Amino acid sequence: MNNSKTFLNLNLLKQKKFNFNKPGKYIVFFHNLSGELIFNINAKGVDLDIYGLYTGKDQDKFIVKTQQRHVAPSARSNLLIKGVFDDTSSFHYEGLIKIEKKAQQSHAYQKNQNIILADGVFIRSEPFLEILANEVFCTHGSTTGKLNEDQIFFLQSRGLKKTDARKILLKGFLDEIYHKLMDEKIQIIKPKYD
Amino acid sequence: MASNVAPVLDFEYKFGFSMPEKNVFKSKKGISEEIVSMISDMKQEPAWMKEFRLKSYRIFREKKMPEWGADLSKIDFENIFYFIRSTETQASSWEDLPSEIKDTYDKIGVPEAEKNFLAGVSAQYESEVVYESVNKELEKQGVIFCDMDTGLREHPEIVKKYFGTLIPPHDNKFAALNSAVWSGGSFVYVPKGVKVTLPLQAYFRINAERFGQFERTLIIAEEGSYVHYIEGCTAPIYTTQSLHSAVVEIFVKKGARVRYTTVQNWSKNIYNLVTKRAKAEEDAVMEWVDCNLGSGVTMKYPSVYLTGRGARGEVLSIAFAGKDQHQDAGAKMLHLAPNTSSRIVSKSISKDGGRTSYRGLIVVHPGAKNSSVYVSCDALILDEKSRSDTYPYMKIKESDTEIQHEATVEKLGEEKLFYLTSRGISKADAEGLLVNGFIEPITKEIPLEYSVELNRLINLEMIGSVG
Repeated sequence: MNNSKTFLNLNLLKQKKFNFNKPGKYIVFFHNLSGELIFNINAKGVDLDIYGLYTGKDQDKFIVKTQQRHVAPSARSNLLIKGVFDDTSSFHYEGLIKIEKKAQQSHAYQKNQNIILADGVFIRSEPFLEILANEVFCTHGSTTGKLNEDQIFFLQSRGLKKTDARKILLKGFLDEIYHKLMDEKIQIIKPKYD
Repeated sequence: MASNVAPVLDFEYKFGFSMPEKNVFKSKKGISEEIVSMISDMKQEPAWMKEFRLKSYRIFREKKMPEWGADLSKIDFENIFYFIRSTETQASSWEDLPSEIKDTYDKIGVPEAEKNFLAGVSAQYESEVVYESVNKELEKQGVIFCDMDTGLREHPEIVKKYFGTLIPPHDNKFAALNSAVWSGGSFVYVPKGVKVTLPLQAYFRINAERFGQFERTLIIAEEGSYVHYIEGCTAPIYTTQSLHSAVVEIFVKKGARVRYTTVQNWSKNIYNLVTKRAKAEEDAVMEWVDCNLGSGVTMKYPSVYLTGRGARGEVLSIAFAGKDQHQDAGAKMLHLAPNTSSRIVSKSISKDGGRTSYRGLIVVHPGAKNSSVYVSCDALILDEKSRSDTYPYMKIKESDTEIQHEATVEKLGEEKLFYLTSRGISKADAEGLLVNGFIEPITKEIPLEYSVELNRLINLEMIGSVG
C-alpha cells in the first residue's frame, strides 16, 4: 500500500469536485458548506475519509449533496456528517454512494447524525445507495433527534446544571470529528459553537 | 432434492398456466368516459359512485405519469381491457364455480386452504369476486367481509363515508385510474371491540390477456377491534403487458389493530402499481407485511398516517427481483401526533440482473413530540449483473423525536457458505439456507399455518427451487 496521506480542507480549497486517481490515504474536511460535493474514486487502493461538520443557528440554511462514486475496484470510502441545529436553521442533506459495475471489492460507508435543539429546525436527510456490483460492502446510517434525556439526567445526577450537561454532550457529539482528525495528526481551527 | 448442479435459487414461475377465456362480458379495449359510465351502469351503482368514477376519470386524464421510480414508459392505457365479468352471478359454494376457474384455483391450492378452517376465502378471478365463503362465526360477531361491489350495494352508508377519503383520486395517476374503473376487491368492517381471531383471506388472480385488474379494498376497524387480512396473488404468464393497479384504504380507529399481509407473485409481464394507505388513530396499531416476489415492475409503498396520539405503524417488507424484474418497494410513515412510533424493516434480494429499490418516506410534523422512527433496509446482491438501490427520504420538523435509519448492501457471506459446505451441505443448499435465514425475520410473521397457498408460494419460490 501507498503510505501517502493527503488532507483536503474544502473550506480553503473552494473546489467541489474531486478525482482520486492514485492510491493512498485521503482525508477531506468541511464545515458549514453548501453545494454539491463529488468524490470520484478512480483508482484501486484509494482510502478516503470524508468528514463534514454543520453548526446551524438563526436562519442558517444548508443544502448539501455528496456523492461517493466508486469507479475503480478495491477502494474504500467513509463519510461522516454531523450536525447540530438551533433556532430556525435548516439542513437538507442528500448523500449518494454509487458503486459502478466494475468497482468490485468496494467498501463504502456513509453516516449522517443530526441533533435538533429547537422546534423551528427543519431537517431533510436522504442517504441514497445505488449498487451495481455484488462483491461489495456498503452501509449507511442516519440518525436525527434531540439530545439523549438519559445522558442529561445522568450528568444532572452528578451535580451538573442542565445547561452545562447539554453543553458537554454537544461538545462530545461534535468533537468526534476533531478527534478523528487528530488521530491522523491533522490540526484544524475549531469553529466556535456555544 | 435436486442434484448439486441445479441452478441456485431458480425462482422459476410455477403458476404460468392459463385457462381458455370464457367470459360473460368483456368491455372494449381502452378507456373513455363511455367505458367508465358503462362499468357503473352494469353494476347498477348509486349516482354518487358514478359521479365519483367520472370525476376520477377526468383527473386520470390530467395527471402526469410519475417521473421517478421504475420505468413505466411501456404502459399503453389504450391497449387494456378495463372490465371483464367472468361469471354472471357469484357462486356461493366451490361446486358452483365454472370448471376452468376451479381448475386454476386447484392448482394454487385454494380448497386445501379452506380445509384449514380459514375464516373466509374470497377469490378474485378477473374482475369480480366469484367465490366467497364467510364463516358463520364472523357473521354472528357482526363482521362484514365481502367483495367491494357487494359492500357498496348492501352497506352504502358505510362505504360512502370512507370510500376515497384516505386516497382521493387526485393522489396520483394510478389512484385516479383505479377510482374510475375499479371492480372487485374486498370490503371489511369490524365492529367495536370485535377481535377476528382467524385471518381473512382473499386471493387475486389475473387471467385475461392485456387485462388490467383494478381492485379496491376498504377496511374499517372500529375502536378496540382486531383483524388480519391476507392477500396473495399469482397470475399466469402472458406475452403482452398487463396492468394491476389497486387501491387499499384502511381505517384503524382508537385502540384497534389491523395487520395486512400481501404475497405478491404476479407473472413478469405485470405492472403492479398499487396505492396502499392506512390511517391510525389514537393508540391504534397498523402493520403491513408486504412480500413482493413477482411482477415485472412493482411500485408500492404502503403507508401509515399516524394521526392519533400513541399510534404505531409498522411495515415489514420482502422484495425479490430476478431476471427482467424491478421491485421498487418501500414504505411511508407520517407522524402527525405525539408519542407515535414506527418501524420499517425491509429485506431485498436481487439476482440474474434483477433490480430492487427501497424507497421510503419518513415525515415528522411539528408537534409530533416524543415520536420515534426506526428504519432498517438490508439488501443481498447474488450476482454481478444485479443491482440494488436505497432511497430513503426523511423530513423532520420536530425536535423532540428520535429517527434512526440504517441500510446495508452485501453479498452472501463467504465464511458462512464455506462453513456450511465444509459440513457437507451442497453449495446450492447452503445458499438457499442463507437466503432463507436472511428473510426469516419477515417470513416468520406470515401465519403459514393458516394458509396453504402462502405456504406453497413461499416454499416453492424460496426452498423448493433451491433444494
